[in-house]
Amino acid sequence: MKRIIVNTAAALALSLSPAYADLDLEKDELKFGFIKLTDCAPLVIAKEKGFFEDEGIQAEVIAQPNWKTLLDNVINGNLDGAHMLSGQPIAATIGIGTQANVITAFTMDLNGNGITVSNSIWEEMQYNDPALDTPTPKHPISADSLKPIVKEKLDAGEKLQMGMVFPVSTHNYELRYWLAASGINPGMYTESDTGGRTDAEVELSVTPPPMMPTVLEAGNIQGYCVGEPWNQQAVVKGIGVPVTTNYDIWKNNPEKVFGVTQEWSDANPNTHVAVVKALIRAGKWLDEKDASGNFVNREEAVRILSQPNYVGADYDVIKSSMTGSFTFQKSDVRSMPEFNVFFDDYATFPWYSDGIWFLTQMRRWGQINEAKSPTWYLETVMKVYKPDIYLHAAKLLLEEGLIEKSEVPWDSDGFKPATDEFIDGVVYDAHDPIGYLNSHKIGNKDPAGLTAN
Amino acid sequence: MKFKILKALDVAGLQVFDPVVRLICGENPPEQFRKILLFIGIPIITFLIFIGIWTYLAPRHTTKAGEVPTPGVVKNAADGIWVFHVRENQKAEDFLLEGPAREKALAGVQARIAELTPLASAARTKLGELETASKSQIDQQVGPLQEKYNALRKQTRADEKAREEALIAQADSLPIGDAKARDAFLAKVSEHEVKSGTEKQALKDFKSTIDAAYADKFPEMESVRIQYNAYEEELQYLSKRLDYLTEGNQSVKISEGQSELVDLQSAFLTAEGGKATLKAAEKVLKQEESIARIAESSYSRPWTFPRQIVRSVACVFVGFFIGSAIAIPLGVLCGISRVFMAALTPLIALFKPVSPIVWLPIVFIIVGGFISDPETAFVHPAFLSSAITVALCSLWPTLVNTALGVASVEKDHINVARVLRLGFFSRLFKIVLPSALPLIFAGLRISLGVGWMVLIAAELLCSSEGIGKFVWDMFNNGSSQTFAQMFVVVFVVGVIGLLLDRIMIVLQRSVSFDGAPTAI
Repeated sequence: MKRIIVNTAAALALSLSPAYADLDLEKDELKFGFIKLTDCAPLVIAKEKGFFEDEGIQAEVIAQPNWKTLLDNVINGNLDGAHMLSGQPIAATIGIGTQANVITAFTMDLNGNGITVSNSIWEEMQYNDPALDTPTPKHPISADSLKPIVKEKLDAGEKLQMGMVFPVSTHNYELRYWLAASGINPGMYTESDTGGRTDAEVELSVTPPPMMPTVLEAGNIQGYCVGEPWNQQAVVKGIGVPVTTNYDIWKNNPEKVFGVTQEWSDANPNTHVAVVKALIRAGKWLDEKDASGNFVNREEAVRILSQPNYVGADYDVIKSSMTGSFTFQKSDVRSMPEFNVFFDDYATFPWYSDGIWFLTQMRRWGQINEAKSPTWYLETVMKVYKPDIYLHAAKLLLEEGLIEKSEVPWDSDGFKPATDEFIDGVVYDAHDPIGYLNSHKIGNKDPAGLTAN
Repeated sequence: MKFKILKALDVAGLQVFDPVVRLICGENPPEQFRKILLFIGIPIITFLIFIGIWTYLAPRHTTKAGEVPTPGVVKNAADGIWVFHVRENQKAEDFLLEGPAREKALAGVQARIAELTPLASAARTKLGELETASKSQIDQQVGPLQEKYNALRKQTRADEKAREEALIAQADSLPIGDAKARDAFLAKVSEHEVKSGTEKQALKDFKSTIDAAYADKFPEMESVRIQYNAYEEELQYLSKRLDYLTEGNQSVKISEGQSELVDLQSAFLTAEGGKATLKAAEKVLKQEESIARIAESSYSRPWTFPRQIVRSVACVFVGFFIGSAIAIPLGVLCGISRVFMAALTPLIALFKPVSPIVWLPIVFIIVGGFISDPETAFVHPAFLSSAITVALCSLWPTLVNTALGVASVEKDHINVARVLRLGFFSRLFKIVLPSALPLIFAGLRISLGVGWMVLIAAELLCSSEGIGKFVWDMFNNGSSQTFAQMFVVVFVVGVIGLLLDRIMIVLQRSVSFDGAPTAI
């Protein structure tokens, strides 16, 4: 299996004919959608810093009201492409929710989410684990100290309620992972239960990101997992306490991707490459550091993002997570240079292994409701992730001298090495999705050696 | 003259200014003063009282999610929205400037940047100093508190543990089966639990004093921060303008493209060999194309609130016309024919109460089915969907009123028509419609009001550019300005709704023969 990919990757690298050197755009006025979260930065920066214009593209960047509308607008052609949740192109392709062939050739960022709990839950967690009851508790914080609270609620005939932003969002999987890592069952999706609450000890529900702090304060939910600026907002307003970030749940996990439909990409192959070129440059600009390792462009980026037509939150709120630190409590501001990664560590490359992780989670929680073979995982992810387009764009940038050779994984087979940098230390090897599924205590397990379907 | 003005005011529904005109003409001043006080003075006083109550109450109601904005804050938010609009317009203008005008603008921008940069960096230093100062002040306050808290917590936990151990020891020696002793023990345990509860509460209360210390506000720091942010925002805007006046400028881009074109053309003239010549020719054509494209391009301006308002008004009128075009003919038919009325009644009753939020997804799917490629479509599908939703929700008052108006034409008029042996159409246009017009217009007036209310929800849901989209975007921003911006929207929507209503009143009065008085 591995060899097949190596060969395809090599073939793709060779097929980069010089005809592409001078991109002949099929379309030059493009509309991109985004959701008001700080990780839309590459799109906004590519527009505002003129990277799109350098490619001859006139781009309009338009805020979308929610993830569902955003996806629908991409599918029906209102938008050419959009800032998407990593799970969205995959889910659309395999037909969870709206069915459509959505592909991605560019990962927009790594990390960037947090889990926030209400003040009273935090107090109880601190009571259960006195080590947390200091101004700067030790990280990572697991859900162990949450477990007694869940039990107590269950005994009282209630369930703890938590919010996430979309059924196939990274937030859903991260929150489930965090809970399950401490032995709390977050509930399973079944064919008849599309809310994912079967056997749940903690009930998760969908809440739009901007509503999260409000709903938390109103007491409808006791915690949530969401991207920035909505965790920092809770701290600023004194509504809740972020207990962990997804950096601790899975170090350097892929968060958002740039998605387009397969049809659009087929009709506009050169334009797609040009867009990816501009986005790579934007990512690089965002992660540029000076000699002492401080970000040099982030403050300007935050200034741009805080404009009302982009993210629009207060400058100081966006700044608190984007300039290399994260505020857990007013007493606890930590340096977290990797809270948002836009370019380093090959962040923007569309790794097959990242896509497979999302597929395993969809299977683990029952959104994919039957056992699949390892080849199915690979074939599916290859339908969605398009490293060849990324490499085209990167090659052109290299020729123009805009990126370094070392900044792109040229000869990769699309798989990151196996890693155990998860909050529970379980090893993830994308070559063995079934084995990975079976190594978790909670969630679906599949028989090994399945070859059909 | 006086009566002409009075008549015009009357038709325009501005009777409140009637006494002013009469006063200017010197007609019975005491009477006019009394009227002015009543019709102009009292509304103004009411409004001022309203503002006063608002100013008084707003700061007294704070939640964690934010504060209720005072009128001053709302004014600031409105200014902010306006500044954003002006700046975007300026950028669009800069993009198209050429020649000396461009150079003049450029010089202006550069001068302003030179002026602002030191101010911004001074503010930044000041802010940094104040932040450190406030942080150390908080630390000083919190440090001892935190120590105390830690000690207290340790003590509480130790106490609790000690009590628990004592209880266990006591339980060890409890005689088995001795109900009385066991009851006494039970009481002790409950006492212990109550005590633990109160101690926990005390601990919590103590902690909230620490939290309060963190929540201390430093007004000077905040004002410096606002000033600094304002400088930086303007600098950001100026640097963008600089870009649109230099490299990003249309004329600059075109002249660069043209100089490149000259090179390419000369290369084409001297090209040798079939392949190379073809390639050079292609390059020339491509360059020409790209110049033409730049010449047509414009600054891609984001939607600003004033433009969104215009679009919303356009949308409500499109919807209103679609609705009226359906409602008036149907209403006439219903009024003329009892059979038709009987046939339509169940449908009207069924669809009338349906909410716009239900119509919208249905309309969206239907419209989407007709417009497959939004790029080339004549109207944007989201715009059309909102307009149709407005139409569906607002046509009912017109329909019902038209039916009523047509059905209640005076019998005498109909009889006259019979005597004159008028045909169907002359009867319709000469007798029925004219006498039904006042009621039809009363219906239209209600319809337009309903449409305007529905539109905001429709735009919000289908993200069609307009006031509804603005509301949702600003809500999603979750910035400190959000609440104030909502208040701005309230006033804008209210004022436009009022104007639309006035327009309809004027129309309604102009078709009423009897000049029937209309409600305010």
